[in-house]
Amino acid sequence: MTMLVLQILILGLLGAAIVLWALYFPYPSPLIRRWLPARKRWPEAQIRMWLKDGRFQRSFLRHFYSDPERMASPGNSILAPADGLVTSADMRGEIRYLVIALSFWDMHVQRSPVSGRVLKVESHGVDFMDGEGREFAFLGEKACPVQKRLVVATNAGQVAVRLITSLAARRIETWVCEGEEIERGQRIGRILLGSTVVLELPAATKLLVRTGDRVWAGQTAVAEGLTAP
Amino acid sequence: MNGFFWTCGHLGWGIFALAVFTGLWWLLTDLYWRLNRIKAGRLVATMATGWIVGAGLILLALYVATR
Repeated sequence: MTMLVLQILILGLLGAAIVLWALYFPYPSPLIRRWLPARKRWPEAQIRMWLKDGRFQRSFLRHFYSDPERMASPGNSILAPADGLVTSADMRGEIRYLVIALSFWDMHVQRSPVSGRVLKVESHGVDFMDGEGREFAFLGEKACPVQKRLVVATNAGQVAVRLITSLAARRIETWVCEGEEIERGQRIGRILLGSTVVLELPAATKLLVRTGDRVWAGQTAVAEGLTAP
Repeated sequence: MNGFFWTCGHLGWGIFALAVFTGLWWLLTDLYWRLNRIKAGRLVATMATGWIVGAGLILLALYVATR
């Protein structure tokens, strides 16, 4: 009798695991999530579904709000302000715009690329749009995406960071204010959910990354050669 | 074959082992598919081959044990 109970218990547990699998399919069952990388643990289609109904899995939110410590690369190079993929590094006028696209699975805390004093924290834009980093949409006069622009003055010139929202991300938090002295790699703000961060650099700086490279906020050196005019 | 389904007041070890193996294999297939996005046909062939080998080993072990 004991053996039968044990067998039924084991089969019951296995049955429960299969029922969980069926309930969550095509998304991963909670039982196997821990063994999957973030992108496969919470597929994009599932996140977009959560965005529609406004309810998120707690484990995803924990991952999303994670804010790990970062070790800045040594030297005075300019650091990446955000985690993500470099999608363009084009010039317009005398400014080079390094566009970093963040995905749902990236850490969303932004960090200062340089040490210096915060000159301005400006709000721009009225619209929420996807592809906000393409075709310099963030420079538009009227319908440009909602964004915050932080200008940091260093001994060797100015650098600006734009925190831009997308259709999915509708909130930006900035954690520094005008006049504040900030350190290289210091946390400066956060965009909630997928979004874009643009780093504005003087034309004379030399880029250390290319389109398609993956960068980490406060850790990856993206440019060097910020020199006094 | 009597001992396969039922023996001494509990489920036979044959059917029990096959049921547990099949369930675990199903879940493992799902995990494997998620980690390695391979074509459905190849996944089915690989996992079906694995299941046949596993089930064969279970039946062989049962046969040897009850011979």
